[in-house]
Amino acid sequence: MAELWSAISAALPVTEAEFPLDFSEKVEPSVVDVLKRCRQQLYTGSGRWRQNAQIILDFSWEKLNTGTWRDVDKEWRCLYSYGCLFKVAALCRDDASSARVQEAIRTCDLGLLMGAAIMDNILQTFVRILQNEIGKRHSNEENPSEGVSAKKMKVDCVSVPVVKQALAVPRVHCPSLESFKKDYLDPQKPVILEGIIDHWPAFKNHPWSIEYLQTVAGCRTVPVEVGSRYTDEEWSQTLLTVNEFIDRYIVVKDASSLGYLAQHQLFDQVPELKDDIRIPDYCCLGEGDEDDITINAWFGPGGTVSPLHQDPQQNFLAQVVGRKYIRLYSPEDTEKLYPHQLQLLHNTSQVEVESPDVVRFPEFVKAPYLECVLQPGEVLFIPVKHWHYVRSLELSFSVSFWWS
Amino acid sequence: MNWFGFGFNGFGQIRTNEKLTDGESAGDANVTYPISIDIVCRNLEEEPVQICQHNSNVDTQIRTSWSRRAALHSNRLPSRDNNWQTAQPETAVKGDGRLCLAGFGVGTPSQKGCGGCVEESRGCQDAHISEGYLALSFTDRVECWNSERNEKKPGWSMVIPDNTGPSLAFPLVPGGYIASNPPFYRPLSPQLLAVSLALGTEHAVLLTASGDIYTWGSGSHGQLGHGDLSPQEEPRAMEALMGMSMSTVAAGGWHSVCTSAGGDLYVWGWNESGQVGLPSRALRGEQQKSQDTGGASTCKDEEESYDDVFISIQAFPALVDVTQSCEVSKISCGSRHTAAVTSTGDLYTWGWGEYGQLGQGTENSSDEPRRVEFFKDQGLRVVDVVCGPWNTFVSAIKEDPSLHPDTNIINPLTKNDIEWKNCL
Repeated sequence: MAELWSAISAALPVTEAEFPLDFSEKVEPSVVDVLKRCRQQLYTGSGRWRQNAQIILDFSWEKLNTGTWRDVDKEWRCLYSYGCLFKVAALCRDDASSARVQEAIRTCDLGLLMGAAIMDNILQTFVRILQNEIGKRHSNEENPSEGVSAKKMKVDCVSVPVVKQALAVPRVHCPSLESFKKDYLDPQKPVILEGIIDHWPAFKNHPWSIEYLQTVAGCRTVPVEVGSRYTDEEWSQTLLTVNEFIDRYIVVKDASSLGYLAQHQLFDQVPELKDDIRIPDYCCLGEGDEDDITINAWFGPGGTVSPLHQDPQQNFLAQVVGRKYIRLYSPEDTEKLYPHQLQLLHNTSQVEVESPDVVRFPEFVKAPYLECVLQPGEVLFIPVKHWHYVRSLELSFSVSFWWS
Repeated sequence: MNWFGFGFNGFGQIRTNEKLTDGESAGDANVTYPISIDIVCRNLEEEPVQICQHNSNVDTQIRTSWSRRAALHSNRLPSRDNNWQTAQPETAVKGDGRLCLAGFGVGTPSQKGCGGCVEESRGCQDAHISEGYLALSFTDRVECWNSERNEKKPGWSMVIPDNTGPSLAFPLVPGGYIASNPPFYRPLSPQLLAVSLALGTEHAVLLTASGDIYTWGSGSHGQLGHGDLSPQEEPRAMEALMGMSMSTVAAGGWHSVCTSAGGDLYVWGWNESGQVGLPSRALRGEQQKSQDTGGASTCKDEEESYDDVFISIQAFPALVDVTQSCEVSKISCGSRHTAAVTSTGDLYTWGWGEYGQLGQGTENSSDEPRRVEFFKDQGLRVVDVVCGPWNTFVSAIKEDPSLHPDTNIINPLTKNDIEWKNCL
């Protein structure tokens, strides 16, 4: 137990004087006062530092929820990360029970999700230390394999839609950069690229599976979408550990509620998983830097649906586990797709693609489309602003690359 | 009148007499149960007066910010012949007030005064404090001072023209209102006939002379009450309440409250901690988690047994039954909690409670209004409530018919306090 604290404190600056607390005037003196209390208590080891860390967390949480997310000043996100740092230190100080270690990991994850990197991304360093600690404790326990065999999944009985040949998304095997640019990127035509991700460690060295994900990221907290689709009233987001998500929504699949780990930058949060994938070479045909590419994870049971919508960037959708049915509509036919009027949803169609209301949306059935069943190992190129509808046919894990 | 406080005390805004120890500031601990707060300022009178109980012809209001609490003493001089009636008209100095601060950056009380007297506030009628600024309203002007008050002049001020219209409650001023951040003066259409204004973190709730309510600002959490999540740049009438005469308004971080002339309570906005007074999934989820012993989650089963609908955002006003038969007379909102005083003198609180701001002796939140039993237990009749972002201040008087109605309860001051106050 004491080893945990020495590892944590080794990651921190040696003395209080070396611990930076620099903020702009935007952060009020009263808040800085609490931060200094936290810092002092961290190095003297006395005082109500768990409480003071909580004050920082609560204050910055309110700031994070004020205004729109993208307008939130980075100072508040940094402040939130500091709150997480002090809370984690407080949790690890004395005899840290397994529950406390788990709470510390969760705290780091909240900081990584909602905060901004501070002190050389110290929260990521903390997570590594804490995961090591969990690993050490598990190997000391008696039934380490109990978890694995219990996680047998319900096998889905899936009806795979038959893709009409005339409407099938074209396929090409390992095209050159030039031919991809000429035949698909420039004319903005969807295509399935085969053979371009076979070298991913996610297929060869560490084939992704439920067990592998639990080992690498089981105790990590991630955002999960609950509900059949994000346009539903019942839809909501919640925070769960990967283990909880798998237990509740993958292993025992309840027909009444779907859970989907969707559109989450999991690979920033769990660097081990980032090592298992590669950015497609074709992204270099874009204008932006590699750093500007957004990589999202999409992990869920069969039956998850992303309603017909469009995105403001080019997309490579790489399928790693399981199959997905995907339908694509051109932006030229947008009017036949009846986008929502609300600003918040204007990039989403009102139509239920696989059972359209022909009375309310008569033009929809006239809109031309392409469709496919995307298999593991295949990558679908979705040109910018192309409308797409996605339904998973079974347990599925996809990785999307948004680039410009 | 006596004031009580509970909730966030990170800067000693409630417990002001804490001894400082190494590594701690005045009052780190949350106050979960109402305690009497000492708001009498020794400097208030030119002549020292016997201050303990029985005195307060000084009408005191409370104003709050996150890290501070201000007592606004309105200073009606006590009459010299110990007549408990209100001061003779010729000695009464109407509106000659003074503001005293407690909390962040304020000195400790001493023989000279409460440590937080704001000299610049002499003669003010009302005040609002925020983290950055101190706004003082005088009969002829408004001044906004930087909270540090290290300057000789206010950072901003404005002359108030003679007001021939109805008296306005600060932060309303003729032609508009004073915001808590620059630009301070914000105009309002005169057609609105504004009577009372509540400013939330990023929205505003206005009551007009005709009893209608207008809201504007951010609508992202339903706090404007128009049924959607869109922002409004200009005041927009709340249609759902048209035709009913409203009498008070209050605004919190992301929620709003109002009462009708008949004492009904309406709440709308974000309900993530139960501050709207409707079932909150997030709240029940948290309570469930802390009950679980950390094994395999049983959350799913528990959820299925709830047939209730959970509300996380209430975008239209909802009628909330605080208590079956009583009318609500006063309301106030903190950042994520709500407080209501009934006509029978009870205090109800609900919403976020993790700093003890619900006054129930715990750090639990609640999505149902609950009476704060302390006041009933002490035989106190609650008269008013003012919420800070994370705390609550309550004024109450002893409910004892044998005493003169203007008499207040004995302040449970320490022996030391009483000794040096009895000076002449």
